[in-house]
Amino acid sequence: MRTTLLFLILLVLLPISIVVQDQLPPIPPMQERIFLLPILFCFGALALPLIPALFFALATALVQGLALLQIQSGQIELGLVGPIVFFLGWTVIFQMLSEATHGMRWEFHAFGSFLVTFTLLAGEFLILCVKRGGFPVDEMVLFRMAVPSAAALLIAPLLYLLLSSLVPYATEPVPGQGKPGFGNSGLEL
Amino acid sequence: MKYLQIAALVLLIAAAIFFSALGVGPLGRLQSAFLGLLSPLSHSGSVVKNSIGSLGTDLMTLDQLQSEYDRLLAENKKLRAENNGLRDLQQDNDHLRSVLGYRERSSFRLIPAVVMNHSAEAWWNTIKINRGSKDGIAPDMPVITDRGLVGKTTAVSDDMAEVVLVTDENCKVAANVEGTKEQGISAGARAPEGELQLAFLSKLADLQPGQKVYTAGVSGGIFPSGIALGTVKSFHARELDGEAILEPAADLGTLDDVFVVTGAK
Repeated sequence: MRTTLLFLILLVLLPISIVVQDQLPPIPPMQERIFLLPILFCFGALALPLIPALFFALATALVQGLALLQIQSGQIELGLVGPIVFFLGWTVIFQMLSEATHGMRWEFHAFGSFLVTFTLLAGEFLILCVKRGGFPVDEMVLFRMAVPSAAALLIAPLLYLLLSSLVPYATEPVPGQGKPGFGNSGLEL
Repeated sequence: MKYLQIAALVLLIAAAIFFSALGVGPLGRLQSAFLGLLSPLSHSGSVVKNSIGSLGTDLMTLDQLQSEYDRLLAENKKLRAENNGLRDLQQDNDHLRSVLGYRERSSFRLIPAVVMNHSAEAWWNTIKINRGSKDGIAPDMPVITDRGLVGKTTAVSDDMAEVVLVTDENCKVAANVEGTKEQGISAGARAPEGELQLAFLSKLADLQPGQKVYTAGVSGGIFPSGIALGTVKSFHARELDGEAILEPAADLGTLDDVFVVTGAK
C-alpha cells in the first residue's frame, strides 16, 4: 500500500513538474532553464522498490520524450528510445546504490539529480550532433549543461524535504523488511 | 510472488519495446494527446504565473484606470483613422500593381494567440500558445508579431500548440537582405543565444549593420514573403560563403501576444 501510494503520487507529479519547469523563469545571465523532472525521477528511482521504480522510469521517459519530441519534415529528432534506455539504466544504478547503502539518503538524491540532469542534457546534445551533423561544443553548450545540473544539485534537497514531508515513510525503511530495493521489490502494485 | 515479479518485468519490457518502435505518425498523435493532457495544467500554470507577476503592477486606482481608458480610446480612434487611410492606399496600390501587371499583394488571415510559456528545453527554442486545432491551427503555420517573424507551429493539440522559434537551429527561413540581391537561409545556433545566422550569402556581399532582412517566400515554403526577420548585426566571409549575424525583429524574450498566419486573405 505504501509503495502504491508513493508510486501514484510520483506519477501525478511527473506532468506537473513539466508544467512547473516551463513556468519557472530562466536563470540569468545566459537564460538557462531549471529542470525538475530529473530531480523527481531520482527521488522515485531511489525511494521505490525495483519493479515500481522501473515502471516509474518508463513513465518518466515517456513524459520527457513526448515533451521534447520534435518532428521536422517527417523525421524524428529525439524519439522515445533514448529516454527509455537512459531512465531505465539510471534506475538500475540507483537501485544498486540504494541497496548498497541500505536506503535512501538526501546526499545521494542531490548528487544523483546533478548527474542525471548533466548526462540527460549531454545525451540529448550528442544525439542532436549525430542527427544534425557537426559537434559545435563551445562555452554556451557547456553552460547549457552545467548550470541546470548545478541548479538541480541545489534544488534537490528542497524537493527531497518536500516529498519526504508529503510521503513521510518514503525515505524510511519498511518495518520488518529492511530498505526497499533489490530483494524486496514491493509488488503491491 | 516470484511469478508476479517476472510477469511485471515482461510487461515492462513489452511496453518499452512498444513505445520504442512507434513511428512518426503514431508518435505525433501520442504527442498531441500528451499536449492535450498537459493543456489544462499549462493554462492554469500560465494564469497563476501571470497573476503572481502582475501583483502590484496591475493594482491601479480608479483615476489611473480612467486615464488609461481615455488614452486607449484616443489611440483606438487614431489607429482606426490610420487604418482607413491605409485601406485606401492599399486599394490604390493594388490597382497600380494590376495596371503594371504585378501580382496583388495579399494580406494575411491571422489568429491572435497568447504565449503561455517558453518551454524549458536546453537545445530547442520553443513556446506554447493557447490556440490549437479547434481554432484552425495546424502544424507548420507561420507565427508573427507586429514586429516580425516569431517562428512556426509544430505539435498541435485541441487548444494548445507548440511554436519553434526562429532562433532554433531547426527553424530554417529563406530570407533576403533589403536593398541587395543577397539571399540566404537563416537559422539559430544549437545552443540558442537569441541571434540568427544568415548563411549561404555571397562571400563578397556588402552588408552593413542595421540593414533589414525579410522572408523571401520561396515556393513550397512555409513563410510568406515580406515578413521582417531581423536586422544585420555583423557580416563575415567564410571559406565557401558569407554569413551574417542577425538580431531578430520580434523580441523573442518577452513574447506575450502573437498571431498565427492561417492563410492569405
